[in-house]
Amino acid sequence: MSTTAPVQFTPKDYKSDLAPIWCPGCGDFGVLSALFKALSACGVDPTKMVIVSGIGCSSRLPGFVATYGFHSVHGRVLPIATGLKAARPDLTVIGVGGDGDGYSIGGGHLPHAARRNPDITYLVMNNNTYGLTKGQVSPTSMLPLVSSGQKMDPKRWKTTPYGTTEDSIDPIAQAIAWDISFVARGFSYKPNQLADIFAQAIRHKGFSLVDTFSPCPTFNQEQTEEFYKSRTFDVPETHDPTDRSAAFALSVNHDNYPLGIIYKHDDKPNIIDEQAHLRARFDGQGSLQELLARFAAK
Amino acid sequence: MPQKKPTARPTDVVLRIVGESGEGTVTLGDVLVELFTGLGLDIYTFQTFPAEIKGGTVMYQLRTKSGVTLSPGDVSDVLVALNNQGFGLFGDNLRSGGILLYNSDAFSPPVDPTRTDYALPITTLARAEKDKVRHEVSGEQLKRLPAPVNTVGLGALLRLVNAPLEPAEEYLGRVFARKGEAIVRMNISALHTGATCVAEQIGDRETPHVGSRPDHRDRIMVTGNQMLCMGAIAAGLKFFGGYPITPASEIMEFLAKELPAFGGNVIQAEDEIAALGMCLGASFGGVPSMTATSGPGLSLMVEQINLAGQAEIPVVIVDVQRGGASTGLPTKTSQGDLNLAVYGVHNESPRIVLAASSVGDVFWTTVEAINLAETYQCPVILLSEQALATRRSTVPPPMIERVTVKERLKPAEADLGPEFKRYLDTSSGVSPMAIPGTPGGMYTTTGIEHNEFGDPTYTPDTATKARNKRFRKMDTLLVERGHEFVRTWGDAGKVELGVIAFGATEGVVREATERLRYAGHLVAHLHLRLIRPLPVAPINEFAVRCKRLLVVELNYSGQLAGWLRVNTDMTFETFHRDDGRPFSSHDIEDEMLRILSD
Ligand SMILES: Cc1ncc(C[n+]2csc(CCOP(=O)(O)OP(=O)(O)O)c2C)c(N)n1
Ligand code: SF4
Repeated sequence: MSTTAPVQFTPKDYKSDLAPIWCPGCGDFGVLSALFKALSACGVDPTKMVIVSGIGCSSRLPGFVATYGFHSVHGRVLPIATGLKAARPDLTVIGVGGDGDGYSIGGGHLPHAARRNPDITYLVMNNNTYGLTKGQVSPTSMLPLVSSGQKMDPKRWKTTPYGTTEDSIDPIAQAIAWDISFVARGFSYKPNQLADIFAQAIRHKGFSLVDTFSPCPTFNQEQTEEFYKSRTFDVPETHDPTDRSAAFALSVNHDNYPLGIIYKHDDKPNIIDEQAHLRARFDGQGSLQELLARFAAK
Repeated sequence: MPQKKPTARPTDVVLRIVGESGEGTVTLGDVLVELFTGLGLDIYTFQTFPAEIKGGTVMYQLRTKSGVTLSPGDVSDVLVALNNQGFGLFGDNLRSGGILLYNSDAFSPPVDPTRTDYALPITTLARAEKDKVRHEVSGEQLKRLPAPVNTVGLGALLRLVNAPLEPAEEYLGRVFARKGEAIVRMNISALHTGATCVAEQIGDRETPHVGSRPDHRDRIMVTGNQMLCMGAIAAGLKFFGGYPITPASEIMEFLAKELPAFGGNVIQAEDEIAALGMCLGASFGGVPSMTATSGPGLSLMVEQINLAGQAEIPVVIVDVQRGGASTGLPTKTSQGDLNLAVYGVHNESPRIVLAASSVGDVFWTTVEAINLAETYQCPVILLSEQALATRRSTVPPPMIERVTVKERLKPAEADLGPEFKRYLDTSSGVSPMAIPGTPGGMYTTTGIEHNEFGDPTYTPDTATKARNKRFRKMDTLLVERGHEFVRTWGDAGKVELGVIAFGATEGVVREATERLRYAGHLVAHLHLRLIRPLPVAPINEFAVRCKRLLVVELNYSGQLAGWLRVNTDMTFETFHRDDGRPFSSHDIEDEMLRILSD
């Protein structure tokens, strides 16, 4: 990854010919343009990078970037990105997808990405709902419980017409618990901050998770731009992201969400370096002839 | 190569050892394998493992032969029963007039005049051997020192089959050297005790004869799983992702140890979905990739196999089939995943299904699997089977200079640029594939239906064109190479009966066919290496030579027969069963005879 090179690519250089298919007002537009800026700031060569995605509105993002892309199946961003990075450590690998993709169907892969810690940047566009399948509850949905007796709008939240029976996931607290080595939260409507977070995530050596509040005005009329504007604050300058307990304490306030870099574990071992180490130990000395000879019948 | 002369009296002896798992039954089998191989004989083993984590009955069958060995043998000449339970479970395949050697300290079998029994108080004899050296070993060592039960058994068995004891003495000296001279002496004495006790009982009776072929040297002793791995390495495998499952785990374990020296990576994934996902990522990055699993894992991979077909990503998926549905008979063998391999997909996308047939063949079939995946840019499912994967056999070492590695089609300089068409609609169906890092080759691969650039499109026109292009690759494969994927054995002209089979039944079907030809019948055998796309032309050429046809397979409902009905107009009879056991050649021969005689 050529992070220190002078800017060779402007944000516009990363824009593909395909026009995004997102609804007007979708938060994912903000994520896309912040990504263009971050890539430009990091000087990432578009021919030497791959964006891997799952399935969902947000997962259509790779097609909108002029680079290599892998739009895969629902929930498998992380294994695909990990295999790619293992085979091609020279590439910048970025994973993208929705909260359903990353925390529900693909949620089982997150702790394993954490323990492997490959140098992959994972950007989750969290709209607290399932956009592509038109508005079902997601693991991060913030819905009233059935027992609260609160009325639901019957046209929305189609699988939870009487409220929810389940609590939601807190992806940031979860990520810190798993020791994901870079954990941050952004908001689509704070484009400069978001671009800066993305750039730091790309520069981070190791696995980074950026959960971005990216409202879906079409299916989620609760967690809107205004909702997040009133329920977020910038991570205070005094916060030390390398302090895991402090990071955890910062993340668990569910009335007011911190935006910025919440947790960092810089010198965490990573699978890509370890594998390079292993290959170096043998220095390509493998010989099939010798391998077969080990099985010679004596 | 100079013609090798076998010894005057050819060897063909089948031994079966049954006993408690973890109590040396397998060790005894392995030692015999080593000793007989050392005599220049060929080996073919068949083992059943208990599904229990510890304990349970194991069976180790081993056939030793001077020359090509196609099966583990239908009936055993000598049965060694170390306990009653093993005798009850696996004692039924002794040939009439065969020999039973049993541990008379453990049990006494019911009298049966069709066999000759040798009762040996193995435990008592072994304890006496230990007593002889008691004063020479320290208290701690003595406590942990097992009585040399296996060595007594080994001596008895070697004497029974007229094999020399010297190589065994040498072996014991080597293995027990670090335990001290007294222990070596104890074992060598135990070996002779076993031999002497049996010799007294043999008297002047004839017993089987294990000879030697001192000139027969250039062979390797391997399992199917090991050969598969070496085939993959030969074909340039660079990435393996897997998740442990019997009987495929050995593949990941082998590659974890060996692949780094060939510049490759192995990752043990969190599940089979991740395993295949990693392979797809690595392959998209440009390196040959493979995963290995068994039926339950293949079930989890189905969605991404379709992605590989649709997005045209080369990948090899090994399925070492095991017995039964669900957890079924996890340590037994079967050919029950053929349907899953050929049909397991939502909607339709191209794929290649290959089947390996023997320990020697699996090397080449794996080379082929990787080459086909890279050439036709699609998923290749390679079917193996428990019996083949875990079996130890002597085979000639593969001539690796004959391996050719095929690389995927890369775009020419002129194709690259803003107008690069990753999914160019070519006459072969194969399109140039740019790998990340190639300037001007950028594209986004996707499972969504797409045009030649890879951009999502939903029009009926592009959908039809794109799908035809992908499936055209399979036609190209059949036209270019279809005939290479069937093997025929037996009579060359018109025959009374032709057998069609696939996978690890090859050896027993060949044996049955050979025996029937020897008995004067006109019979032939077609063995399929490629299941999908089905090489219909050579199958039809075979079928027209056969007055009647029989399809043989090791699964419950006759899955190959079903697949043949879908793809051909042939009429045939079927023979199939699925109870965890492989076929014996007599099973096949009896069925062939039934058809020949009605
Ligand atoms: C295996 C599988 N199950 C279900 C689906 C249907 N599906 C497509 S996207 C999606 C969820 C989308 O939500 P999210 O991941 O949050 O992304 P968003 O559309 O909100 O960006 C679902 C359930 C699918 N494509 N594949
Ligand atoms: S449905 Fe929601 S998430 Fe999907 S594009 Fe429209 S606004 Fe965005």
